[in-house]
Amino acid sequence: MDLKGAFTSLLLVCGLLAGCVAASPPTLPSAAELERLPVLSGVVTGHRVLRGEVYLADDARVAPDAVLELRPGTTVYVRSAEGTQIDPEYLSSLTELLVRGRLDIYGTARRPVRFIPLTPGSPDQPAWAGITLTGAEGGQIVGARIERAETGILCIASSPEIRANVFTGNRYGIIAQQGSAPRIFDNRIEKGEGGIFCWRGSAPEIVGNEILDHAEEGIFVDADSRPLLAGNRVSGNDLGLVLHDPALVGDPAQAQGNRENLRILHPPSSEAAR
Amino acid sequence: MNGRWVLLLLILFWPGVVHAETVYRGEQSLWQDTVWSGDILIDGILTIPAGVSLEIRPGTRVRFTRFDSNGDGIGEHEIFIQGGLKAQGTAENPILFTSAEAQPAPGDWGAVNMMAAEEENRFSHCRIEYAYRGFHSHFSDAVVSHCEFVRNVRGMQFQEATVSINDCVVRDNFNGIQFRDSRVLLKNFVIRDNHWGLRCVYSELTAEDGEVTGNLINGINLRDSTLDGSRLLVVGNRKGIYLQGSKGTLRDSELLDNSEHGILLENSDAVVRRNRITGNGRAGILCREATGTLRNNHLAGNGEYALVNDGKGEVDARGNAWGRLDSAEIAGLIRDGADRPGVGAVDAADPQL
Repeated sequence: MDLKGAFTSLLLVCGLLAGCVAASPPTLPSAAELERLPVLSGVVTGHRVLRGEVYLADDARVAPDAVLELRPGTTVYVRSAEGTQIDPEYLSSLTELLVRGRLDIYGTARRPVRFIPLTPGSPDQPAWAGITLTGAEGGQIVGARIERAETGILCIASSPEIRANVFTGNRYGIIAQQGSAPRIFDNRIEKGEGGIFCWRGSAPEIVGNEILDHAEEGIFVDADSRPLLAGNRVSGNDLGLVLHDPALVGDPAQAQGNRENLRILHPPSSEAAR
Repeated sequence: MNGRWVLLLLILFWPGVVHAETVYRGEQSLWQDTVWSGDILIDGILTIPAGVSLEIRPGTRVRFTRFDSNGDGIGEHEIFIQGGLKAQGTAENPILFTSAEAQPAPGDWGAVNMMAAEEENRFSHCRIEYAYRGFHSHFSDAVVSHCEFVRNVRGMQFQEATVSINDCVVRDNFNGIQFRDSRVLLKNFVIRDNHWGLRCVYSELTAEDGEVTGNLINGINLRDSTLDGSRLLVVGNRKGIYLQGSKGTLRDSELLDNSEHGILLENSDAVVRRNRITGNGRAGILCREATGTLRNNHLAGNGEYALVNDGKGEVDARGNAWGRLDSAEIAGLIRDGADRPGVGAVDAADPQL
């Protein structure tokens, strides 16, 4: 074998190993190991930078004007705290990361930022609430892997860049509502109840995403929202695209291989029905 | 001395004619029954101990300075009541509880905080704004009427309390009303434009003649609780009414244009009768392991489906109006075991026009 061939073989082996590492479930830290990790909980003020392994031990919120930055390769272990109590400054009884300032997640393909719940979960029984941005200041969520959350990313009046992430097994992948206009590019959103929801006057750019294998909708757009849909692959969902305005579909080839690729809804009929 | 000088001296020295602002600084307690009127400034934590009552007269303005000792963004100055509180304004002269900041924000101050108060506390014609928990009652009963809770982190919160709320508005708070282990009567109310409107656990809620609109997540969410709801207008929330592990009746109400579902019943037992449920985005009603009956409801004009059964059991939906009478067309408005294996059926017999 010449040098070039040996190098190619070595690359292939490395690629296979990397693939195995990516596919295999991560080994979760023990309770003692968790205790030694930096803890993310409570209010984040100023500019906090996280790297390495971090323990999201309880609800955390990024205050207005504050920045939470996650460097490439950060792993966030999420404590799954199902309870009945919600402090007034939070929205869910599940563990949540609530952003009212700015969130910058800088994962890469080789060094993603991973959010890993410490207990099992499913779209029906999520292990944590996920990331909620409400009135947040821009920000970017890039190269993250978010799994088993109630909502991977919920944008309320918030418009971050959401690019090159993997969302898997969440109840809702991404929700944009109340005037949110996030740029949702090149993500893989899979195996949840629904993929992307556009509600209440949202206008996200949804471009180049793979939205696969949801029990319900791939993309749902209500009558008030005006997303840009381009170059997506919406497949394996129960309903591929659900929209009120057929003009929003763009290229219908975006939705193929769903039980029903396109469903056009009637306009909200309450006024007419009154 | 002429009459004008006498009048001036009277104005200057007559008690009660010239009101300076009454100020409470630091941690203080009222040691005797007290009546407030005019302007009050709370620059600390004021306790009304057991055996003492505070009466607040119409038109009083109670302001709280912002003090955030631990940098969590939440102000801590408040009134802490173990005795009794009567804050009874009038329509013409309401009582105001507010922030003393020049640029006020939700969470500037703590709460009107009632902890095991001795008496039934009474609030009427009050406006509470910019608090962390505007009205907070723990082991304390209260009657609240004609009040507004606006731009608080949470408008109202109670635990282990019996609270009667009528003719109140709860709007533009981060979240509206939360309670647990409580009995609550809500009547003639508006819960509007909060992140979520009303949420409770282990409680009994009677809600009549109310409007729940524009809440960003859930309008009304009960968990392990009981709902008796009637004549409600539930419009434009993300989910309208969401019961989890709960029992309930809902009748004579309108659930319109909610983004997801008009009603979501999850592990719940409900009687849903004579409601108009239309224009909701995903489904008019979603049942996940729900029992009970859905009867005489108008279910036409919802988004994807009129009714979805995601549970294993059958859903009894006889005698509803689906906007059509043809059984095949009605089946197209329903998603159930006929569409998904392992899921129970929906009995949509006896359709009405």
